[in-house]
Amino acid sequence: MNRSAMQWLFEPPSIRDMAPGTKVIVYAILTFWTAFVLFPIYWVLITSFKSAIDVNSGPVYLPFVDFQPSLHAWKELFVFDFWDTLSAYVNSLIIALSATAASVIIGSMASYALARFEYQPRFGVVFMFVLVMVGAFVAVGRYGVDWRLSCAAGVAVFYFLARALGRHFKARLGNGDILFWMISQRILAPIVVVVPIYMMFQQVSLLDTHIAIILTYTVINLPIVIWLMYDFFTSIPIDLEECAQLDGATRFGVFWDIVLPLSRSGLAATTLLVMILSWNEYLLALFLSTSRAQTMPILVAAMNAGERGILWWSMSVVIIVMIIPVVILAIILQRYISKGLLLGAVKG
Amino acid sequence: MTVVLDAVSKSFGSVKVLHELSLEVQDGEFLVLLGASGSGKSTALRMIAGLETVSEGRISISGQDVTDALPKNRDVAMVFQSYALYPHKTVAENIGYPLKIRRMNRAEIESQVREVAAQVRIDELLERYPRELSGGQRQRVALARAMVRRPSVFLMDEPLSNLDAKLRGHMRAELKHMQHELGITTIYVTHDQVEAMTLAHRVALLEGGRLQQLAAPKTIYEDPENLFVAQFIGSPPMNVAHGRLDAGTFVIGKDRVVTGGTETVANAVIGLRAEDCQVVPPEDGAIRAQLFANELIGDHTLVTAKVGDDMVSIKAPKEFEAGFDEAIGIAFATDKLYLFDKDTGARIRRT
Amino acid sequence: MRPGTPRAAPSIGARERLSDWIDRHSAQVFIWPAVIMILVFSIFPLVASLIMALSRIRFRGGTYNVRFVWFQNFEKQLFGSEQFHFLGTFNGLGLLGWAVGLAVTLLIAWLAISYLRGPVTAVGLVGRLFTWGLSLGLGWLFAATLFSGHPFGTLGTTLFYVFVGCGLQFVIGLALAFLCSLPIRGRTFFRVVFFIPLMITPIGVGYAFRMMADTTKGPFSPVWQWAGLGDFAWAADAWAARFFIVIGDSWQWIPFIFVVMLAALESVPRDYVEAAQVDGATSWEIFKDITWPQVVPVAATVLLIRVIEAFKIVDLPNIMTAGGPGIATESMTLHALFAWRSLDLGQSAAVAYLLLFVTVVTCVSFFNLVVLRRVRA
Repeated sequence: MNRSAMQWLFEPPSIRDMAPGTKVIVYAILTFWTAFVLFPIYWVLITSFKSAIDVNSGPVYLPFVDFQPSLHAWKELFVFDFWDTLSAYVNSLIIALSATAASVIIGSMASYALARFEYQPRFGVVFMFVLVMVGAFVAVGRYGVDWRLSCAAGVAVFYFLARALGRHFKARLGNGDILFWMISQRILAPIVVVVPIYMMFQQVSLLDTHIAIILTYTVINLPIVIWLMYDFFTSIPIDLEECAQLDGATRFGVFWDIVLPLSRSGLAATTLLVMILSWNEYLLALFLSTSRAQTMPILVAAMNAGERGILWWSMSVVIIVMIIPVVILAIILQRYISKGLLLGAVKG
Repeated sequence: MTVVLDAVSKSFGSVKVLHELSLEVQDGEFLVLLGASGSGKSTALRMIAGLETVSEGRISISGQDVTDALPKNRDVAMVFQSYALYPHKTVAENIGYPLKIRRMNRAEIESQVREVAAQVRIDELLERYPRELSGGQRQRVALARAMVRRPSVFLMDEPLSNLDAKLRGHMRAELKHMQHELGITTIYVTHDQVEAMTLAHRVALLEGGRLQQLAAPKTIYEDPENLFVAQFIGSPPMNVAHGRLDAGTFVIGKDRVVTGGTETVANAVIGLRAEDCQVVPPEDGAIRAQLFANELIGDHTLVTAKVGDDMVSIKAPKEFEAGFDEAIGIAFATDKLYLFDKDTGARIRRT
Repeated sequence: MRPGTPRAAPSIGARERLSDWIDRHSAQVFIWPAVIMILVFSIFPLVASLIMALSRIRFRGGTYNVRFVWFQNFEKQLFGSEQFHFLGTFNGLGLLGWAVGLAVTLLIAWLAISYLRGPVTAVGLVGRLFTWGLSLGLGWLFAATLFSGHPFGTLGTTLFYVFVGCGLQFVIGLALAFLCSLPIRGRTFFRVVFFIPLMITPIGVGYAFRMMADTTKGPFSPVWQWAGLGDFAWAADAWAARFFIVIGDSWQWIPFIFVVMLAALESVPRDYVEAAQVDGATSWEIFKDITWPQVVPVAATVLLIRVIEAFKIVDLPNIMTAGGPGIATESMTLHALFAWRSLDLGQSAAVAYLLLFVTVVTCVSFFNLVVLRRVRA
């Protein structure tokens, strides 16, 4: 290839445009990635219309051409196992929506509080709290004290210690420390905390209920909400909030009427992310639910249980159905996503 | 409604930004807190609003002690420099927000909003969002929102300083008229002495967190308490020249000005308003000066001249003409001159 | 002409109601729900888990019996009968093993010396000692296992997922974001399509990739047959299985990096880029000199988030290989899960705590060395 041809291919004709050669390469890469992203989804989709024979006798690619699509997997799930499927689906919806709502609301409140109020907990009091808690645990674990007694005694001891000694500690923590403490909870792998959480719910007979899973999901997602929302809240002009206070609003009124609507792009992105995480969560649900509160990911995993091996077709159906609510939410919220995620992440 | 500040102080950590400020604002009065930035005027206003806590002293509104009351329970409305319009609410929703919070029914809110909007002439803009409005329109919306609930007190924090010069003059007049019509006690913070002089019934001039003078604009202009007030008020500021006061005679260089008093002060300052001086031939003036520059303003010529090391400004007739560095004389009536103690800044009143 | 009717008597300083009391204490009301939830469901279990990790727990007829054994569980993982499972099999260092181990030692010694020459602070020194110690240990761990031809344990596998997986995801995600930030048609289409994998449940991703990888029934089986690998069971080969899991994980998580980095790239002010274009810079030069320095903070943060999440990997190995062949694809979370299944709660908690330790040291080191350095610069 001579030089001018190379130039024509790879030198941009104008500042707003790319050279034809570059363009071809860019589109080739993007198209390849599109295929890489879509093909597994396509495969899952057509597998959901296959019968056992179509799957087991080697790959077939095109419905109507390679094989005759059948609805038997869909029928099996939605006609024969209708109530099981529905119950898992409803469980998942209840749990994901409630957990998302709870963590977004509670997390936003905490995040807003850290952005606007000043906190100065005494370091010594925090330290005493940890000591008392460890003491309470050792009492239960080592000496077999009843856990209710231990909790009550711990709270009482801490209260009186804090009242009596709190004033003498001079070192104080600030908002930054609290923020870091909250966000750093995300580092905790669920496996570290899940067994004690399991035991806690066992003690209060809440295993295999919605409330147990909702509470757990809410807490594991709080750090994300606090992290992503913090910068949105600090960037709202404080005049607006003061003005609303003078107009007669309470702090909660200010938060609800002024602050939340003004950070709606961040809220949308955060909501979507938390919703995806709670909707798809598997490990915690595996521990905390056995039958009544089973969620969809558990149902997917359960397709492996039979002696017949994996029911690829049924599993594909469940995966497809599982994507739908997330896609709906993503479409509703999509115009906020990139902007929202970014602002939270930029300042970290 | 009256507003009373009783020896109110404010400290941020170890920094005291307001020193024992005492004020009594009468019912229906338009009081302007005037001062440069950092003078504590905004802090004082925010304390009245309840947005800052009070370190020492008491604040009461309509005879009720509100020192520790929540902002929403003080029945005050505030107009912010940034206007603080809620960007996600329409103009109508912005104006109606204080009423909505008070759980007024929707029909009544709407009628009140319309009424107020008509008063400030923004009735056509009610469905728009703040970002679609010009600066002046935003200003009116902010005013309307403050007016709609008919508060006991209006608080305004530099409400005009984000407007361009022409609009500012216009809004100033409207504001004054409006306050007169509504008759609501207003406390207005500004750094602009023209706003202060034109709007106020009384001006409180603050500097360094201390009240310098509290008086009607005319008094504060004609009878300043101290050198700071004298130099802060007036455009151009009051002329000063440094010298000494010798048994009632002000000595400045080779010139001697008989003031009519009898005091002796080693470091004294003589003050003269530009409009109280005349330019005369050098031998006829009480003080001799050297012309520095003259500028034709329109209806008059502003002459700047050097007296010793001090620059003074004199308003001369528009026909006045003179060359640079020409010697001139300055003449004035003895009762128009002000004397100050240079060291304390205090006014020396002739006895 | 006052508008409307005269207002009712003003309520200045009216007696405060309950709502006002709450309003006064809103600083507390706003933050306590989150604090209490984190204390109960995060800190409380964390401490409980520590106590479990230091105990031997046995189930007897419905109740369990807890015996405090100090560090026996950890000892078992690090030096005892579970060592092969957690750390790997040590069977003498090979030549390459010695070389790698010494290289790592020298590198860390060099880092330590160059740090100690500059200004030293107490916190900085302690933090670095942790990082150096951990790096040294991991260096020799890999020297003794991977580079000496012996299998490594769940710690090594997890680190493989984290570093290889996150590295791959970051590079590809950034590259895609860069391509999508160029002036091309159909950007919205690519943006939407590339986001999809993030929405699919990891369990589903695991099964989908298991289908993809099937050499006899999967869509690529003709390719495998043609290449003469028809009988190749990738799930039976340790490295093939590990790479398949990394590919599945990347398929799912590249969108996350892509979305955030694309937003970051697009938020770079146009005039910088245009000024460079006028100066005649190529797209690549613009990216390298103008855009990249502006998006580095975002890149560091997004990578940190991804690393934190990657340490928790469990769904994919569980579904795709169930940790096999042997323990070749078992992540630490999966290790702890299996220990829990066999009712060995103490070991399970110990592994979980080891995971926590590695995660914290890695993330804090990353944060201090990358994020804070960028902030200071």
